[in-house]
Amino acid sequence: MNAVLSPAALRILAAYGAAVLLFVLGALIHPGFASFPSVSAILLIASFVGLVAAGQCFVILIGGIDLSVPWVLNAAAILIATSSLGENSRALYALALTLGMGALAGLANGAAIVWLGVPAVVMTLAMNGIVEGLALGLSGGMTCAACASYAPPLVRAAVHGVFLGVPAALWLWLAVILLVSFVLSFTRFGRATYAIGNNSRAAFLAGVNVSLTTISLYALSGLFAALAGILLVGFGGQASLGMGAPYLFQSIAAVVIGGVSILGGRGHYLGAAAGAVSLTALVSVLLALNMPEYGRSIIYGVVILALLLLYGREQRE
Amino acid sequence: MSAGSAAVGDNPPAASGPAAAIAAQRVGKSFGGVEALRAASFAARPGEVHALVGENGAGKSTLIKIMGGRLAPDSGTLLLDGRSVRFAGPAEAARRGIGTVFQELTLLPWMSVAENLLIGREPRAALGLIRRAALAPEAEAVLAGLGITHIDPRALAAEISLAERQIIEIARVILRVPRILLLDEPSSSLVEREVTWLFARIRELRAAGTAIVFTSHRWNEITSIADRITIFRNGAEVGTFSGIDEAEAITLMTGRRVEARYPALPAAPAAERPAFELAGATLGATQDGAPGFGFSLAWGEILGVGGLAGQGHRELFLGLFGAPPFRRSAIRVDGRPVRIARPADAIHAGLGIALVPEDRKSEGLLLPLPVRDNLTLPILSRLSIGGVIRGGAERRMTREIITSLGIRTPSAAQPVGALSGGNQQKVLVGRWLLAESRILLLYDVTRGVDIATKHELYELMARLAGEGRAILFYSSDTEELARLCHRVLVLRQGRIAASLAPPALDAEAIVAAAMREAPPPAAHAA
Amino acid sequence: MPRESPDLAPAGAPDDEPAGTRRPRAAHIIGQNIGLILALSILLVSVVVFTGLFAFEQRRLPGNFEITSSVNNTMPLALAASGQTLVVLTRGIDLSVGGVIDLTNALAAIFLAGSVLHMIVVSALILLVGAAAGLLNGLLVGLGRLQPIVVTLATLSIFQGLAIRVLPQPGGSVPTGYTAVLVNPNAPSALLFVGLAVLGWMALRRSRLGVAIFAIGNDEQAAITLGIRAQRTKIIAYTLSGVLYAAGGLFLAASATSGDATTGDVYTLTSIVAVVLGGVSLFGGRGSAIGAIGGAFITTMIVNILFFAHIDPLYQSFYEGLFLVIAVVLGAAVGRLARRAR
Repeated sequence: MNAVLSPAALRILAAYGAAVLLFVLGALIHPGFASFPSVSAILLIASFVGLVAAGQCFVILIGGIDLSVPWVLNAAAILIATSSLGENSRALYALALTLGMGALAGLANGAAIVWLGVPAVVMTLAMNGIVEGLALGLSGGMTCAACASYAPPLVRAAVHGVFLGVPAALWLWLAVILLVSFVLSFTRFGRATYAIGNNSRAAFLAGVNVSLTTISLYALSGLFAALAGILLVGFGGQASLGMGAPYLFQSIAAVVIGGVSILGGRGHYLGAAAGAVSLTALVSVLLALNMPEYGRSIIYGVVILALLLLYGREQRE
Repeated sequence: MSAGSAAVGDNPPAASGPAAAIAAQRVGKSFGGVEALRAASFAARPGEVHALVGENGAGKSTLIKIMGGRLAPDSGTLLLDGRSVRFAGPAEAARRGIGTVFQELTLLPWMSVAENLLIGREPRAALGLIRRAALAPEAEAVLAGLGITHIDPRALAAEISLAERQIIEIARVILRVPRILLLDEPSSSLVEREVTWLFARIRELRAAGTAIVFTSHRWNEITSIADRITIFRNGAEVGTFSGIDEAEAITLMTGRRVEARYPALPAAPAAERPAFELAGATLGATQDGAPGFGFSLAWGEILGVGGLAGQGHRELFLGLFGAPPFRRSAIRVDGRPVRIARPADAIHAGLGIALVPEDRKSEGLLLPLPVRDNLTLPILSRLSIGGVIRGGAERRMTREIITSLGIRTPSAAQPVGALSGGNQQKVLVGRWLLAESRILLLYDVTRGVDIATKHELYELMARLAGEGRAILFYSSDTEELARLCHRVLVLRQGRIAASLAPPALDAEAIVAAAMREAPPPAAHAA
Repeated sequence: MPRESPDLAPAGAPDDEPAGTRRPRAAHIIGQNIGLILALSILLVSVVVFTGLFAFEQRRLPGNFEITSSVNNTMPLALAASGQTLVVLTRGIDLSVGGVIDLTNALAAIFLAGSVLHMIVVSALILLVGAAAGLLNGLLVGLGRLQPIVVTLATLSIFQGLAIRVLPQPGGSVPTGYTAVLVNPNAPSALLFVGLAVLGWMALRRSRLGVAIFAIGNDEQAAITLGIRAQRTKIIAYTLSGVLYAAGGLFLAASATSGDATTGDVYTLTSIVAVVLGGVSLFGGRGSAIGAIGGAFITTMIVNILFFAHIDPLYQSFYEGLFLVIAVVLGAAVGRLARRAR
């Protein structure tokens, strides 16, 4: 219910407004940009950012950050391919293993942050390296025999399959949006999250289990990164090195554009999801304009700054 | 002008004669639509100590911030030596001879006492580079000149006690020899001896012709040092007086007649099974291996805890609440041995212990969150099914407690940070009443709270004790302890130096026990 | 009752212990510089371990070549970490480091040529580009009141884009004379630049600006009340750090002798690692650029150690990550012990 407060709600609406505006802009430049298949394709790409952003949103809401996203995602992509060997019969086992790996990496992040007092930036940065080293080392730098495996058909169907005219991955993302939003707004866990984000000491003294909540949130972040990695393999067919790299900054940008305060305590996943759509739509518009890579990169940064200046200011005393 | 020979308040309060060192004329200031000051006027002369009194939210701090250059007035004028001024910031005000100790302390925690004290006037060598090695000796000399010898200038500001920080803060301002000294609640964390030190400094400055303006919620301090008193209410002055008694002042501050200052205590509880027993606890100041201490608290009892600042009170209260727990101790609740490892243990598990902490803003409330979230945070486990909060039940409980405590808020969805200080404190107490807490640990709940709300809190405490709840109450105000408690424990260096009960219980006895040089164990107890 | 005395005896402490809260000067010096001391100790240990491994492997002590290449390899990171330190001390964080190094590295690869004077002018202009990049960050953080982490995330993207625009394909070249001055391959003369950076740091620490940077990192509101101009201080700090990143870009170009618009990317994260290893608090207001430079050298030594310990290079980041966590945890534990040992 925190989202219903006016300034917060405004930020979320602004993020959705930006997304709609970009689609309109795209349609003006390139007829057919706002057609159903095009929108659906853009949303599908956005869903990967959106899933990573779900986890990132959770940890940013408590004033943390997860820099381990790129390699947790990448390792998940490698793991789902190598453990399933592209066979449906092994898919469930592979899914459980991969999601478990993501959650475990997040759990380790949370545990070190809570119990060892390592700053979140440092711990998740280190975890990114740890997972990277393990992924590279164990896969022999993606030279292993199983590394060339494709995603099992089941996973590919979970992305590309169409239900009521909409790709399955979008249904999945919609379910995640609803679930995460519900958790944040209407559950104890959500209340605890906001309480910790606003003032963890006060939350602790009010009986909130700060340690457990924090660890769970980081575990969720790892889980969502792994889920995105699985779906990306389902989307593209195979795992590759470096496929997680874009998702760190994109997930943070989506969360911030969605009106979540980087300092924690304020914001909602509904906004972050809109942020993911806006970002992806922006890139698509620029591609439609045949903008070279450097131009996209510059405009990407400028747009984030513009949106921040519009509504991301720190409040004064 | 010396103490006691104050000028008669013959000039009307709004006027600022040519004699005024600093004056505010019809100054207005609002924050987001809330008027903190409405056409308020005030004037302080050179060589006088002028107290600003009023409830919280009456506008005293806002006025001090305006005079100190931290806020710009929306309307009206500020006069310095009769000439209209506008300050760009506190630094400019300081250059014009105005020294201010704001309510929020401004020491930089990870810099040394010396660096803090001498900031902006460090000893310098060639090229204007600071001689870092000379900082501490210079600070040492400067502090000694002000009669402060016990604070190590090489220590980090974060390493010294709150009271010591406040003293350094005051010293830093005095050091710059201001012509006008503004002190916003300078004594809030000081104990008697330190207040005595502060007042000696104030008298010296007064004798040198400095105009001194200060705010305080402690009436005895106000009467002992102030030459004149200006009373504020609702963002404007009520009047300026050179002699006024407390009851009259409270009436003017609150706008209504307040009966007795302290409510009648409910009868002392019958000596039955104690609500709470602590044994073998040790606080940081005591050595390992030293015998622990303990006490017991009966249902319906208000047990006070007093003593000088920094004697382990905070540790004691937090320890009882498991935040963090004592290294070793035995705690019994209702005769049953219990283990409290963290606050959740104290709150739940049928113990029903509640802590209202020292600083409601940093330890108690979640300021940007709604009143409702703040009230129900500890009881969400009871209010939810499978982790999902029962909205209807929550709304009902929240409404009831807002009504029964008279919390003034437009709605339960209002961010608690938008409420007045007193109402925020009520939200904190209300939280624990909702949690059906039976043992209340109240840590300095009346500090920085205006007199009318203090009163409501006193009455609430008496009522809660009357209902059979057990209350452990720490206050830095000894008068309050003596008048409000059935018994008072005096802590000294992490152990109980005395246990006072009527007829031996009065403010002087508490002070004496707190300051006694060598503590013969329990010899002083009545 | 209290005496009516102007003197403040130690509150609550018996009179026979007049210096109740005092500690020896050495205890303060150690306690307040524990991060720096730890960083330099770790550096010492890693140098010793490396020397031991090297001697075991090669049957000789590390010589001029090993020392020179270690120093030269570390220079860009040492400079980037010094810049990051300035930002982190103001309680900020700078993710645009990689972008600024990309950009300045690309510019260096294209424009460094010709006469000595020309190269000096080009170098100065490149440092100015770094200053401009830092200024942009500083203006957005200071005047725009935006969070540093998101501002620099956005400007990272902008600077990276500009770098690719300047140098779309890896290439360009840096004259050997330039390389010889900055990163002389025959002697560790680049240590001179480290010395300069340390001197610069010590001067900053004793200047008004230094006090202001530390003060706003400690408590920005309080610093403003004390008359410190927080916005201006932040703008200057970000600008200075931009200059340092640009210098890092120049050193990178000099040692690679050609340019690549993406090789600088790694410095965003490695500069944070170096700062953390150097004992600078990510919460602002505590730390030293000397420590951060030490942190940079530690990371180089770790890579050297892993190499001579025959660790599969694929696992390198695993060990680096593990080492970072262990170093931070141990550092915090030692810090706590030092504080408790009163």
